[in-house]
Amino acid sequence: MKPNILFPNGFKLIGWILLVPSTIFGFLLMLSDIEEKFTVKSKVFALYNDEIFGKQSHWGLITTDITLTAVGVVFIVGALLVGFSREKKEDEFIAKLRLSSLMWAVWVNYILLLLAFIFIYGMGFLHVMIYNMFTVMLIFIGRFNFILFKNKMSAPNEK
Amino acid sequence: MKNNLKVERAIHNITQEELAQKIFVSRQTINAIETNKYVPSTVLALKIGRAFGKPIDELFFLEDTD
Repeated sequence: MKPNILFPNGFKLIGWILLVPSTIFGFLLMLSDIEEKFTVKSKVFALYNDEIFGKQSHWGLITTDITLTAVGVVFIVGALLVGFSREKKEDEFIAKLRLSSLMWAVWVNYILLLLAFIFIYGMGFLHVMIYNMFTVMLIFIGRFNFILFKNKMSAPNEK
Repeated sequence: MKNNLKVERAIHNITQEELAQKIFVSRQTINAIETNKYVPSTVLALKIGRAFGKPIDELFFLEDTD
């Protein structure tokens, strides 16, 4: 069987090192008002920029706060590395578990999103949209690693 | 589908880990097969058969629900 495209096993650890702090920091940014203290102004290249009370621009350098950009980039890279790196012994059971976890995560995520659509309005829904950018990968990684761990723990030295 | 890998391992006196190494899979996979959580591919089933020197229909059995 042709294996799926995955990163080498060593990248998983790098992924965790990126994913855990960026997740914690991301939650802190969302839940508290530390965002004002962590403003990092920088010149960046923007394909498109549309300020809320400003003008539109495209294809050029702009000056903006890049805290969220940095946290988002580190999170996405970390999550991809954790979710899509080979296990030490990548075999057909692990591959199937990875795929089924991905499907499970999409199911759970969209059921939660559906409930949020129906029951959450206004600024609250904006927060739902922000969380929703990251939840598919978080649920996927959580479920996949939880089942791997559970399987590893069951009957470890059994003859 | 049911299987008697556990019994077969006991007869050959090898651990899940040793069987896993023989056929180049993870120990989790052997465990998942033995606990009926995972049905192996034909390739893997044939490898297990070869490891025990038995045809696969002496290791794996269809159930009524299959």
